[in-house]
Amino acid sequence: MSRMFRSRSWFGGGWGRPKNPHSLEHLKYLYNVLSRNQTVSEHNRGLLVETLRSIAEILIWGDQNDSSVFDFFLEKNMLSFFLRIMRQRSGGSSFVCVQLLQTLNILFENIRNETSLYYLLSNNHVNSIIVHKFDFSDEEVMAYYISFLKTLSLKLNAHTIHFFYNEHTNDFPLYTEAIKFFNHPESMVRIAVRTLTLNVYKVEDASMLAFIRDRTAAPYFSNIVWFIGKHIQELDNCVRNDADHQSQNRLSDLVAEHLDHLHYLNDILCLNITDLNQVLTDHLLHKLLIPLYIFSLSKRITPLNDAASTNLHRLIQNRALSLDCTSSPHHENTINVAKVSCVVALFLLSQVFLILSHGPLVETLAWIILKTDRVNYEQRVDKLLERYNTEMKVQKQKIEESTSESSAQCNSEEPVNDSIMEERKNITDEEKQRLATSPAETSPFVEKPFLETILNSLDCTDNDYTSLFSLCLFYAVANNKGITSDVIDQILKPKKSFVCKSSNNKDVKYSYNVSLVDKILHIIMLACQPTCRVRLVTLDLALKLLIQLVICDGRSILLESHKLTIEAAKSQSTALLRNFYKSEEIFLDMFEHEYYDMQKVLLNVERLCMDSAILLPPTGTPMTGIDFTKRLPCGEVERARRAIRVFFLVRDSVLTLNGDVETQLPLTNPRSCVQIDQALDLSISRYNSDLIGCTVIYKDGTKMRRFLVIDILQLILVEPDTKRLGWGVAKLVGFLQDIEVSGDKDDSRCLHITIHRPLSGTTTNRIPLLSAKFVFDDNIRCMAAKQRLTKGRIKARQKKMQHIARLLEIPGQSGPPSPAFIGSSSGGYTSRQMGRNRERSLFNRCPGIAAPKRENSPGIAHRSDVEARINRNSTESPNNLSKLRNEASQISKKEVRSRDSSTSNKTKSGDSSPRMPRPRSEEIPLELIKKASTSVIDMAPKISVLSRTQTPKMEQDQSLAESSGASKDTEKGVSLISSVSEETSFIAEESEQEKGLSFIETV
Amino acid sequence: MSYAYLFKYIIIGDTGVGKSCLLLQFTDKRFQPVHDLTIGVEFGARMITIDSKQIKLQIWDTAGQEAFRSITRSYYRGAAGALLVYDITRRETFNHLTTWLDDARQHSNSNMVIMLIGNKSDLESRREVKKEEGEAFAREHGLVFMETSAKTAANVEEAFINTAKEIYEKIQEGVFDINNEANGIKIGPQHSPTNPSLPGATGSSGSQGGGCC
Ligand SMILES: Nc1nc2c(ncn2[C@@H]2O[C@H](COP(=O)(O)OP(=O)(O)O)[C@@H](O)[C@H]2O)c(=O)[nH]1
Ligand SMILES: [Mg+2]
Repeated sequence: MSRMFRSRSWFGGGWGRPKNPHSLEHLKYLYNVLSRNQTVSEHNRGLLVETLRSIAEILIWGDQNDSSVFDFFLEKNMLSFFLRIMRQRSGGSSFVCVQLLQTLNILFENIRNETSLYYLLSNNHVNSIIVHKFDFSDEEVMAYYISFLKTLSLKLNAHTIHFFYNEHTNDFPLYTEAIKFFNHPESMVRIAVRTLTLNVYKVEDASMLAFIRDRTAAPYFSNIVWFIGKHIQELDNCVRNDADHQSQNRLSDLVAEHLDHLHYLNDILCLNITDLNQVLTDHLLHKLLIPLYIFSLSKRITPLNDAASTNLHRLIQNRALSLDCTSSPHHENTINVAKVSCVVALFLLSQVFLILSHGPLVETLAWIILKTDRVNYEQRVDKLLERYNTEMKVQKQKIEESTSESSAQCNSEEPVNDSIMEERKNITDEEKQRLATSPAETSPFVEKPFLETILNSLDCTDNDYTSLFSLCLFYAVANNKGITSDVIDQILKPKKSFVCKSSNNKDVKYSYNVSLVDKILHIIMLACQPTCRVRLVTLDLALKLLIQLVICDGRSILLESHKLTIEAAKSQSTALLRNFYKSEEIFLDMFEHEYYDMQKVLLNVERLCMDSAILLPPTGTPMTGIDFTKRLPCGEVERARRAIRVFFLVRDSVLTLNGDVETQLPLTNPRSCVQIDQALDLSISRYNSDLIGCTVIYKDGTKMRRFLVIDILQLILVEPDTKRLGWGVAKLVGFLQDIEVSGDKDDSRCLHITIHRPLSGTTTNRIPLLSAKFVFDDNIRCMAAKQRLTKGRIKARQKKMQHIARLLEIPGQSGPPSPAFIGSSSGGYTSRQMGRNRERSLFNRCPGIAAPKRENSPGIAHRSDVEARINRNSTESPNNLSKLRNEASQISKKEVRSRDSSTSNKTKSGDSSPRMPRPRSEEIPLELIKKASTSVIDMAPKISVLSRTQTPKMEQDQSLAESSGASKDTEKGVSLISSVSEETSFIAEESEQEKGLSFIETV
Repeated sequence: MSYAYLFKYIIIGDTGVGKSCLLLQFTDKRFQPVHDLTIGVEFGARMITIDSKQIKLQIWDTAGQEAFRSITRSYYRGAAGALLVYDITRRETFNHLTTWLDDARQHSNSNMVIMLIGNKSDLESRREVKKEEGEAFAREHGLVFMETSAKTAANVEEAFINTAKEIYEKIQEGVFDINNEANGIKIGPQHSPTNPSLPGATGSSGSQGGGCC
């Protein structure tokens, strides 16, 4: 309070004005000013405006501090001054009106006391202001006026409503004045009107709602419905005339606008005001959704308009809904004249089912779409609805009957005539097939014209333009929350029923819509072909719908023949991707990128149907700005990306259908990665072999002493733990596959290392994870680090490539299938192994796949990998067995190596620098380092992975260089060595623990 | 009253962060913090000048309508700029930013300029969200950031005007389709409407307030 009195005065004192602007005295003073300036003129206009503003301020103050302020305000009837001022058109002008309206806004928004509010509203002045004819052509006046009405509507409740709605005079100016602007060209004005109407409907006052329904609903709703109809015809024109994607902006606005309408209708319906919903639902069904949306699905040429709408009126009158049709606009018939194209109708209907969930509305619509038969279809809208209503009555009776005899849980089903009942076990596949195709069973679809149109649209032999919309519509209907009856059973939902065989023997029967699934599988099969015109989004949605259609009680009820089809699709998609499998770096990057991208943006049908881009015929050109999944691929890279995604999509669905969980993807198993701040036991072989001390210098000059650990997939910067000897804490981790290393031309002890962010990250941040200079103790260590990093990067990538190869069932699934390595690895193998290699390579289809090496490292293959593969292999081609055998021997070889490396560790640890076991890896034979050129950073994965032999290192190096006959032998030598040390360092632990294979001591 | 462009803004954020106060502070300075009453309003317009062009800002507060999905989405679509406000003394208002942003991104046109505002900077002693956190959030999501106080008026002008500048730049770059009013931008009338009696072109900002008399 005291602060208020300290406040500076805006009026500079004098003129007999009270010092304190927040006081009753000041209000009295302002009252005098108003009384003396009742006529607005150019001279006193400013004063008046300022006086009004001050009044508002005092009132708000009084509201919270001094009730006598409002008493005075009321006693002097001060609101009448407001009115008087705004009514003086000549002197008033929009400027004063705007100030007045804003003052009122401020007043009504900031008053918290109920009583104060009642004071303000008590003498009907506010209603007089509402009905005042402002100059609405002035944009500013319009905006402030509508904001004022909206503000008032936010104050409505069961008590205040009576100040605005007069039951006796049947007058509700706030509402009736506002809805006059419902179609105002300014979008913000329209939104304010909509807000206001919703705020009004929300108030639970029976007589007010009765007024709304009886006096305003018909005209207001029929206006809305009429404008929506007009609107979608515009939309349809836009689609028809824009095959070349020229007016995407316009189209997107029109689509967004249609969504706005639907959301608005839904918001009203969700308020659950029975009377209102009934009127609105009738309007929507009779005048818009059935005649315009649904009938656009039919191929019938004869317009049904006039007859239909005449019947409609009759129907409405019959139902005595007391609709005030006469007062509704004069455009009754025009709306039905035209139909929209089938594509647009399917798209809009999808939106309807995705957004609206009012049971009576969506159930009626669903029934009409799915069940209308030829006979009824020839009739008009009202007949359709009549038929629906009788149908529902029959159903209700049935339900009542069945519940009355509820003791019998197992009601014997009457034969279902529009579907195929299937027993899972007792019928052979051939029989099922016959059943599925028997004319008696398929004919019902033919006789249902609307459904037939949608089903026919699923055909994407030429393109998937309409198929996508059909899928959307089916999906939307199947997932609509408002559809609770069994309208969609068997058509869009698997059906489960109990059949009594005998008194104590019940059988569960599952069935699903076989012919729809046939069509969906056809889309999926097509999408897996190399040159098809099915977009990714269509495939995605087809798979999603398929799963919904055939999964019941948590498992797939897919028929054997359908199962085979989806498996075939999987093989096909795998084969498709095999064509793109390359050893090039980009393939791995693409593979992982697509994977994470797909995880990030899962298909959301509601969002899909918000995108106007899909309304235009499918295109392949990225220039349109259309999302990759919503267009056809363009160029080789995009075709590869598409193949990758098709593979993921189909793979995922097959897993789901088989009730399996994904164990192979993503390629990097996050659980096996070292995290920041994780404590690491540096004495274990996984980490200690590659410890290299260094100083990291960041761009900003910060320096840090760290130890560099090169793990299987990761580069780790470790800070030694001061409390626990031999332990360290990971301060930074990055993936080896994402690193870039380069030497420093001025300082041979330095490396520049950049670690890019993994694609899996949630952020779109592309700033590197780390970009810093690493200074090592000497040139030798620097070289060693560089080699390991380079090699680590290559190996990390190779492991992943091999993993992909396995996923793609590429025979051999060994090292990178690059021609450069034919036979190169044999030098590294014992003769026993070499023999097997030669044998094996005979089976290899791809040249260059020679090194039969499979690393079961924690970062790549997940735990169940081996078992899964063993199972799978048993059913696969003959050479798999040998492959498996091969791998087993590989693993055991690793055991051997790890064994001797760990012993050597023990002997050497303990005597080294900062409380840590001395890093073995720093002991690189000097000769080798000298041999290596300083620019060894050949990032391409051209170096094969070699196993260790018992031969001395130098010899091995030589023999490799000879046998490979490839590039620089120095490089080879270096890589060989680091490969050896790496192998010895961390595979051991892994294979011991994870594989549980027995130790094999060999020499 | 004529203007070159009209920009429509919306102002969003949790209740109580100070949206209404910011709006009134910007559109009507006469309600300056002379007392403990902080008054707010849910709509306002004001003329500003950028690049010697008159630009009218219309700011619509969407508060109180969150329950209606149709309203929120339409508001977003109709705006060229959005002020996303949180309260630096209430961490939860900061935590909710992602939800607001997701909503905004989903419904608005992609060119909409979003300004992140940490309000109530005058309440330093009760601060729960560091300025750096606001900056980091803005950087990560590509927003412009500013801390303001509707009470002391600190940075309030700047927040609204900088947003306008950015929209203006986008227009200059041809990013905004200015012929499409659905984007929240309107080109001013060719010639000023017949309103000769009006002094200045200040709209509701009423620059002649204060001790004019
Ligand atoms: N100290 C301080 N209080 C503020 C500030 N802005 C708003 N407030 C207060 O915060 C509360 C909510 O403000 P309001 O504008 O109604 O928030 P809205 O719900 O976002 O519109 C009111 O009590 C204001 O007085 C500010 O910058 N500083
Ligand atoms: Mg508010």
